[in-house]
Amino acid sequence: MKYFIMILQISVLFLFNFIGQLIQGYFSLSIPGSLIGMLLLFCLLFLKILPLVWVQTGVDFLLKDIPFFFIPVTVGVVQYLSFFYGKGSLIILLVVISTFFVIGVSGTITNFLLKKEVKSYE
Amino acid sequence: MSSFFTGIATIAGAFILYQFSKKMYSMKPSPFTMPIFLSTASIVIFLILTGIPYETFMIGGQWIDIFLGPIVVSLAVPLYREIHLIKKYAGAISIGIFAGSLTGVLTGIAGAKLFGFESWLIQSVAAKSVTAPIAISITDTAGGNVSLAAVFVMIAGVSGAMFGPVILKICRIQHPIARGLSFGTASHAIGTAKALENGKIEGAISVLSMTISAVFVSFLVPIFLAIM
Repeated sequence: MKYFIMILQISVLFLFNFIGQLIQGYFSLSIPGSLIGMLLLFCLLFLKILPLVWVQTGVDFLLKDIPFFFIPVTVGVVQYLSFFYGKGSLIILLVVISTFFVIGVSGTITNFLLKKEVKSYE
Repeated sequence: MSSFFTGIATIAGAFILYQFSKKMYSMKPSPFTMPIFLSTASIVIFLILTGIPYETFMIGGQWIDIFLGPIVVSLAVPLYREIHLIKKYAGAISIGIFAGSLTGVLTGIAGAKLFGFESWLIQSVAAKSVTAPIAISITDTAGGNVSLAAVFVMIAGVSGAMFGPVILKICRIQHPIARGLSFGTASHAIGTAKALENGKIEGAISVLSMTISAVFVSFLVPIFLAIM
């Protein structure tokens, strides 16, 4: 029974993804359908039209192991190995360093602003 | 029929490998035992050694791939669970996400120019911080190579998830909102997976950040490609 509910709820998530893609296609938007589906589900939850328990079990099952579902896409790097020999390897370094900067800058600024906010309440 | 069995074997193999990586990570946590890195690296090495083409791997891989859309949809739930916090700190959160998006686009373009890369490569690297489907459409509009852009997105995701905790420690970033925001802004859904491991608040803010930063970056990339 538990697995039946889970599969049913995951099907609901597939449905939202599908509706998102339909909306994207119909209005030819540049936002991906999955993200539209997410915003749609969020709105329905927020407006209490759809109760959280309807999707909760399926969502928690998927979110527990997100990295697993990314494996095929990341393995796609294998198709570009020859590009990364020589000068291409520099661009990997660049992407990594730039990512570190994003983490450091966004985190430091937010941390600072939040600390200031807490202080101003006191 | 044989492709059916190849598919089943691939899915089963990937799943066992993932479970094994998870066990390794819990025994010896390090950036290099992170499940996404360890599983991917093992499969890449396996494919190279055996000479099995990526297309063959994807016979099974495509069935794992179809869950990516529903996973993005399911991220609405952590966002909904923490919405009161997001409302409360809306100002700091939006400034933080904007600063991170700007840093990603600026350092990406400036670094690529510094290394002397051709313009199509600069256009392909600019949108690397956002989730793959959006990065692809930004890159396409900018005139870059979309499949290479997807590879850069993966590198930004995995490297951020692997070394993000170290960077946060060095910069002494302790607030869970600031930590989650960094993961989502720099490393989209892969970073969010890591943030969700660390806590509910971090996960929710990370979801929010990857969504909002995608919007910011799609505006910033064409502007900075034009003026830099």
